[in-house]
Amino acid sequence: MAMPLLRWTQVRWLALPLVLVPLGWLLFTGLGRDPSVIPSPLVGHPLPSFAATTLQGTSFSAAQLAGRPAIVNVWASWCNPCIDEHPVLLDTATRHGSEVQLVGIVYQDTPEGARDFLARYGDGGWPNLLDPSGRIAVDLGVTGPPETFFVDASGIVRARHVGPLTADEMAAQLTALGLAP
Amino acid sequence: MRRLALPIAMAALLALGALVLITALRPAPALTQAEQAQQIAGELRCPDCQSLSVAESQTAAAAAIRRQIVDLLAAGQTPEQVRRHFVESYGEWILLTPGSPLVWWLPAAALLVGIGLLAWWLRRGRSIAVSVEPPPSDGVRSRIRDEVEQLDG
Repeated sequence: MAMPLLRWTQVRWLALPLVLVPLGWLLFTGLGRDPSVIPSPLVGHPLPSFAATTLQGTSFSAAQLAGRPAIVNVWASWCNPCIDEHPVLLDTATRHGSEVQLVGIVYQDTPEGARDFLARYGDGGWPNLLDPSGRIAVDLGVTGPPETFFVDASGIVRARHVGPLTADEMAAQLTALGLAP
Repeated sequence: MRRLALPIAMAALLALGALVLITALRPAPALTQAEQAQQIAGELRCPDCQSLSVAESQTAAAAAIRRQIVDLLAAGQTPEQVRRHFVESYGEWILLTPGSPLVWWLPAAALLVGIGLLAWWLRRGRSIAVSVEPPPSDGVRSRIRDEVEQLDG
């Protein structure tokens, strides 16, 4: 006589783990997620165009970024994590200033406040754009500084980083843009 | 009094149905641009606060979005285009009411599946309890009889 196929009564003890293990995994991985980090819909799309006045009073537009990778950093003088992040940006400007264009967007801040910040923590010389209407920040989908957008040479946003960048994170992002960290 | 209960309930139900129908069929009042802007602002999440709409929040980012809503409507965009504009920069997250109908149907679907499984499980239990061994067939009966006779003999 042939062995009968497995009966429900023989395998029903499998049903519980089959349901509970994936469910538990789903809930557990959800615990490790930071709910404040929202994936940006801009990643994989062109950087929204903008034109604004810099802290120095010159005009600057997104079109000037074409042709080489760019790092767009949203910051404010009232933002404490921006102070921690600033040396990383200065270091990047020193070592990669010829390969990558840094641009600052001054977020909900006064020109005086922004100038004081640069005078105190160091001015890397890259353009810092004033955004008094908040329009550039809204177009970028900014929720709060610091936020950094990594844009490739063809103007496509490749990554968005929320919060202060560490040297390691910056190195990883530069590598992803095709630059040796 | 009891004889009147059913007609009264019927009349109340009819009145309620008529009211719902009238409300549903009444054309939405034409909104001014300012009212439209206010409505859209109420449907967007303030990006730099917790659980407040752009209409309610006093932050600079909410003010910037309110200004932009007014500008976009003045430029001739429809409310839906204005909403899409903000979804393109912030993602669906910016909408206080989720755009995907799946979000509303999924819990109901899960509930139905759950009820279905429970019903199946309960019925199965009953059918097992009810089922009894079928009586032995004639062939089996005669074999038993033969074997018993052999043992006795």
